[in-house]
Amino acid sequence: MNALQQDIAQLIIDTLNLEDVAVDDIPPDLPLFGEGLGLDSVDALELALALQKRYDIRIASDSKDARQHFTTVATLAAFVQAQQGACAS
Amino acid sequence: MMFRIDSLQAWAPDLNSDEAWQAWAQHPIRLPDNGEQPACDFLPPMQRRRLSRLARMTMHVAWPLGGEEEQLPFVFASRHGETPRTFALLGEVADQQPLSPTQFGLSVHNAIAGQWSILRGQRGESVALAGEADTFEHAMLEAAALLGDGAQEVLVVIAEERPPVAYEGWIDDVPFSYAVALRVGGIDPNPAVRAGQGWQLRLEPNQGASTTAAWPHALDFVRALHAGEDKLEHAWKTRLWSWQRIQ
Repeated sequence: MNALQQDIAQLIIDTLNLEDVAVDDIPPDLPLFGEGLGLDSVDALELALALQKRYDIRIASDSKDARQHFTTVATLAAFVQAQQGACAS
Repeated sequence: MMFRIDSLQAWAPDLNSDEAWQAWAQHPIRLPDNGEQPACDFLPPMQRRRLSRLARMTMHVAWPLGGEEEQLPFVFASRHGETPRTFALLGEVADQQPLSPTQFGLSVHNAIAGQWSILRGQRGESVALAGEADTFEHAMLEAAALLGDGAQEVLVVIAEERPPVAYEGWIDDVPFSYAVALRVGGIDPNPAVRAGQGWQLRLEPNQGASTTAAWPHALDFVRALHAGEDKLEHAWKTRLWSWQRIQ
């Protein structure tokens, strides 16, 4: 798990108030929604807000790709990196 | 109105057993409130995470009063509701920050009744009330209406939370956070009712001679139950509520 992935896993725990869950319990390829970690649609909204605040990125609410970006910690990290890169360039 | 109080469960900071409430009933004092909350570890963590302090207090007192598979009409009553959540959301609005979808979604008075319904698979009647200082009696009135409509028993929860400091001066009737759950049944018209568990509640005009109660009405009722008292009067504005144990 790289530093960004760890950071995002911790953000998920803190934002969604996941008691008794540690960063190591959320490996980068664990599905976050449904089977896997078990998050739901309200969590997705909450997480999107937290990611935007934390990484100063924008997530379009109507983006068709959002579902894919939010699949795992690894896909979220790749998405955040791409967004930050896009903003910086 | 006549009720049978079948069971009672109450929680306040550091008051979490019959013995502790018994002792409090003998010497009622204003308890220090340091934000303690019940663990609710009968719920898995993923189901617990969206429960606020007031929701945890409610779940904690209501949970043991019904069977896992049982359907019971539910009355949730709170005069002030979740003031900490409201205050936090207002702060975000004032700072022009986006609101948390979770916090916003739960910022309605019947959110806790909804969470109860989801967590316990309750599909029946559910009511969320906010009244004045006699919210407790209005909750019992609602229970009486449900019983009159054919319900065998009703689960009533009264829960209040110490408000944020900013509300001091406006909210003066929550000495400490508390939750009281009562499992209430109707009184059979024939007199073979188990002695001592029946109560009659009457509403009369308050002529002004009665002073407001020293404790929140629900807490005062818990106190009277533990102290074995037979009579209570709760006056609020034009209303005088008289509780009388049916002997």
